[in-house]
Amino acid sequence: MSTSARARLEAEHKLRRIGLVSDRALANLATEDLLPELLDRVRQVLGTDTAVVLLLEPGDRELVAIAARGIETEVAQGVRVPVGKGFAGQVVARREPIQLNRVDSTTVVNRLLWEKGIHTLLGVPLLVGGEALGVLHVGTLTSREFTPEDVELLQLAADRIALAAHAQRSKAERAAAAELQRSLLPTKLPSVPGLELAARYVPGDEGAIAGDWYDVFLLPNGWLGVVIGDVVGHGLPAAIVMGRMRSALRAFALEGGHPAEVLANLDRKMQHFEPGMMATVLYALVEPTFERLHVSSAGHLVPVQGRVGERARLLDVAVDPPIGALRDVRRRVSVVEMPPGSVVCFYTDGLVERRGAALDHGLERLCDAVHPAQAHSVCADVMAMMIGEDTPDDDVALLAVRRQDGADVGPLELTVPAIPESLKEVRSAMRRWLIIVNASPDATSDLLVAVGEATSNSVEHAYGPAGGVIKIRLELRGQDVIANVCDEGRWRPPRGENRGRGTLLMRRCGDEVRIDHRPHGTEVMIRRTIANGQAE
Amino acid sequence: MTSATVGAKSDGGHVLVTVSGEIDLANAGLVQDQIFSAIDNDAVRVSVDLTEVIYLDSSGLRVLFTLAGRLKVLQMELDLIVAPASPVRRVLEMSGFDPLA
Repeated sequence: MSTSARARLEAEHKLRRIGLVSDRALANLATEDLLPELLDRVRQVLGTDTAVVLLLEPGDRELVAIAARGIETEVAQGVRVPVGKGFAGQVVARREPIQLNRVDSTTVVNRLLWEKGIHTLLGVPLLVGGEALGVLHVGTLTSREFTPEDVELLQLAADRIALAAHAQRSKAERAAAAELQRSLLPTKLPSVPGLELAARYVPGDEGAIAGDWYDVFLLPNGWLGVVIGDVVGHGLPAAIVMGRMRSALRAFALEGGHPAEVLANLDRKMQHFEPGMMATVLYALVEPTFERLHVSSAGHLVPVQGRVGERARLLDVAVDPPIGALRDVRRRVSVVEMPPGSVVCFYTDGLVERRGAALDHGLERLCDAVHPAQAHSVCADVMAMMIGEDTPDDDVALLAVRRQDGADVGPLELTVPAIPESLKEVRSAMRRWLIIVNASPDATSDLLVAVGEATSNSVEHAYGPAGGVIKIRLELRGQDVIANVCDEGRWRPPRGENRGRGTLLMRRCGDEVRIDHRPHGTEVMIRRTIANGQAE
Repeated sequence: MTSATVGAKSDGGHVLVTVSGEIDLANAGLVQDQIFSAIDNDAVRVSVDLTEVIYLDSSGLRVLFTLAGRLKVLQMELDLIVAPASPVRRVLEMSGFDPLA
């Protein structure tokens, strides 16, 4: 038996004695509070005064002490050692055991070690599959020469600790990435009368999270923001960057400005604060009338639009470089029409990219899959045709936005207090609804005035000081809007000078106007065509 | 709450009153007070620019009719400036309001 083989066998034997090979102990290591106990056993079996574990921080630039025995303050004070500097920094940089017989400010970064009077240090790297995770080192207050057996033993202990730490870290990272992803995707899409929104997110193979996201938000000016993006990279780091981009984009979007400006701001922010990251992002704004979509794409795949009576096709959208790719990029906005009934699908590459198949093929298949149906069924169709039974390698995000056409629109129903302040609210709701049903400008103007007059009459004449409510309902029947305004009071005759003009105006604004005064309330019915042309 | 903004410029005997926003039952009284107080006693002619008004109903008409009546008594000329094919023009035409510019 060779010396090294004997040393190894001897070391295995000793490790077994201190329980470092038991699976149970290693599994429990994950809880981290067992680590100090294991370090005690290492200390005991090697006869040293201190034992310390340091792990690399994300970014691999610094080591941080996470467990220490004999020199516990090292953990309490959060000691950090730069990689390549001092004793521990050298061990992890060189990935080999180092023995140090002179511990002072010239050889060791952590002053606690020489202040404590440590004389000799032995350190070994924590390695898993060639990847360095950190350092395990032991120290003695007296001068000592560590034997090859000691080194072998410490390295074996380090290998076990490294395996457990690695398993724990990957598991924690996967869970954290999944949790982060879940928390950052909208749990509920905004409800916008006249638009249908639906979305899907599917993690990749083995639950892989890759920083895909989508976002939909209403802005104070009535525009709807739609975002889809994909951060380069995988796992927790990609998910964290994704979270930061999402927040930054929302903040810039709230400032106003067109999509290219918002993406340029986002690019500047990410290049300054997250150098080296890259992401494709598409930001689109839907006009409050839903007629057009204003799109800027930072290297992101072009959305697919399905229009009524046409085959779905890729939107004609300019594509600029990804976020984080180049400095001072000129970003463009493309404006595309959104006819009533049409649907736009935003997606990430996981939906259309397949190993061994051209991207064009995937995009063709997607165009085959998109039909201008209700948004939720568009999502279901696309996922069924593009993913089917497969688990995609990459994660997949899909967002469908559909502009409803007149036939999809339900009636507008409002109940407001009979006070003058309600009039503006009624007009705002009516304007939105009349856009959806595609009413002509004259019809919109006439209906606003006619319903406004009927509502004003109820406000002024229906109730005494105690007040009451007014119910307003608009419904589309063919090319006609039928508006009903009901109160539960009795109209008094108009009082004062220049009064009574409202009823006249109301009658002129409708194609047909009926006022029913009943014992328990007044109901006004106004019929007006929404097609172009004059009332009367 | 419905809101409208009233501004005025006086040039010799001519007062130009500019109104923007919406006028309904909720703010017609306020708008009337603001327009009336913008017109000096020595004015000869008053123009009311309604180009930026996006909604006006009989409450707004009442303000304009009352204004027209008062200015007639005071022997001041009144003209209204209204955008072509606008909702305001539509309402004014339906009501038969006369001094349309």
